[in-house]
Amino acid sequence: MISAENLELTFGQGTPLENPALRGMSLTVNQGEFVTVIGSNGAGKSTFLNALAGEVIVDSGRIEVDGQDVTRLPTHKRAHRVARVFQDPLAGTCEGLTIEENLALAIKRGQRRWLTSAVKRSYLDRFRAALAKLNLGLENRLTDKMGLLSGGQRQAVSLLMASLTPSSILLLDEHTAALDPKTARFVLELTQDIITEQKLTALMVTHSMKQALEVGDRTVMLHQGQVVFDIAGPERKGLEVKDLLDLFEQQRGLQVEDDSLLLG
Amino acid sequence: MLSQIAFFGALETGLIYGLVAFGIYISFRVLDFPDLTVDGSFPLGAAVAAVLILGGWNPWLATLMAVFAGMAAGAVTALLNVKLNILNLLASILTMIALYSVNLRIMGSPNLALLYEGTVVTWWENQFSPENYYMAPVALFLVVAVVVLVLLWRFMKSEVGLSMRATGANPRMARAQGIATGGMIILGVALSNGLVGMAGALFAQSQGAADVTMGVGVIVIGLASLIGGEALVTPTSVLRALIACVVGAIVYRLAIAFALNADMLGLQAQDLNLITAVLVTLAIVLPGFRTKLQARMTRNKA
Repeated sequence: MISAENLELTFGQGTPLENPALRGMSLTVNQGEFVTVIGSNGAGKSTFLNALAGEVIVDSGRIEVDGQDVTRLPTHKRAHRVARVFQDPLAGTCEGLTIEENLALAIKRGQRRWLTSAVKRSYLDRFRAALAKLNLGLENRLTDKMGLLSGGQRQAVSLLMASLTPSSILLLDEHTAALDPKTARFVLELTQDIITEQKLTALMVTHSMKQALEVGDRTVMLHQGQVVFDIAGPERKGLEVKDLLDLFEQQRGLQVEDDSLLLG
Repeated sequence: MLSQIAFFGALETGLIYGLVAFGIYISFRVLDFPDLTVDGSFPLGAAVAAVLILGGWNPWLATLMAVFAGMAAGAVTALLNVKLNILNLLASILTMIALYSVNLRIMGSPNLALLYEGTVVTWWENQFSPENYYMAPVALFLVVAVVVLVLLWRFMKSEVGLSMRATGANPRMARAQGIATGGMIILGVALSNGLVGMAGALFAQSQGAADVTMGVGVIVIGLASLIGGEALVTPTSVLRALIACVVGAIVYRLAIAFALNADMLGLQAQDLNLITAVLVTLAIVLPGFRTKLQARMTRNKA
């Protein structure tokens, strides 16, 4: 479970470029919930995810993961509870390291690391079994450099790495946005499979309203650093992009100006 | 062309500079941290070892202390960068400049002679017949280089070593995996300068003196060895990268010795830095030139 309470964050405070990114953002994600997050550019989606992960520290408010206050903790001290897949397919893995070395880094996420060998023989079967599920033939390429893989393959491995050890929440930051449509679909299906199979708690940011309604079991829309609406259950079923837009206008009396939300 | 003594002398210094190249490999390649501290930590290691040996310490223990001194210097640079957010290159220059004063303080004079002291080389010299004495340091430093190489290789394959490699390659990913990247930078730069401190200590003992100016240009020589080695031994794995360091350092020293010994070139000792700069430039440019040439050849064939 993860809860964010009244988060406030302003970039460049006191400068002409002052930019309030989060303005009293509150959201609670329950155990086993798969929440999709939408919002136009600058709504605070990425900042919210970065705040949950610890990459940025909020000015005020409170973030709890499984009841523990992590508001002021840096990224690496939250990593045992928070797993993450980035938007950039190259960001989640190290291209100079081999596939097995990348997986070995992930298998110890948030744990103490010692001087024992990093890629232990006992891991290899687990790595192969996990990679085999991708159907990309990577289970036979454990010692290949990560840099030899395509963007889609690397994103699939990133996803695998994020789910290799248990976490309280999985953060997905538009992780299919940089992929071609076919690969994006593959990675999205993989995401759903992994989340369902391991009963993960997940927060997925997407720029596509269609995608936001199709996957997951709850949808949250952000606007100007706040949650403007939050729908789940029967209410959400049968909802279409058009309804979502109407809902948004009702709530705020605003027009959605960002075309990318409609096109996705 | 090159006398046997000059050849073994080049091997000896090459093996010592292999340790410097290891250090520079860790900072420049593994951590992506351009660290110039080495110009100060090399004479620091020499100063600490020389003072302790003159004070009657066991030379190996004195060398170990030089390693610790080098590590402390590296840790200062890394702390300036990690905790005070000073640009890494600038942080290392600050430490390097500060070390000049520190080294003078430690030695109490600009140089210290170790000619009549028992050093790490003494015991080895007694194992060789008098006419072969010049081979003793080569044997010793070869053992040292191989031991350090194996230890470093094992370290880079360990959980901590892998975290260090991830820190340099992709810090955001490393943090997301729970790696304290700041701590890894401190550890890595300390380790790097510890190795350079050891090289300084061994160099002073092999040359019979420690001098406060002996660190000038160590970074360039180390880089020359690293880049040259990488051009000769393609570093596709950690082990190959480490071997490249030693090979590069030895080849560099031999190249210098040949250049200085070739009478037809008319070069003298004072031309050393010029030759170094030319060699480094060649080492950087040649691999690219080779690829271009290969591309042209294959195109012509097709």
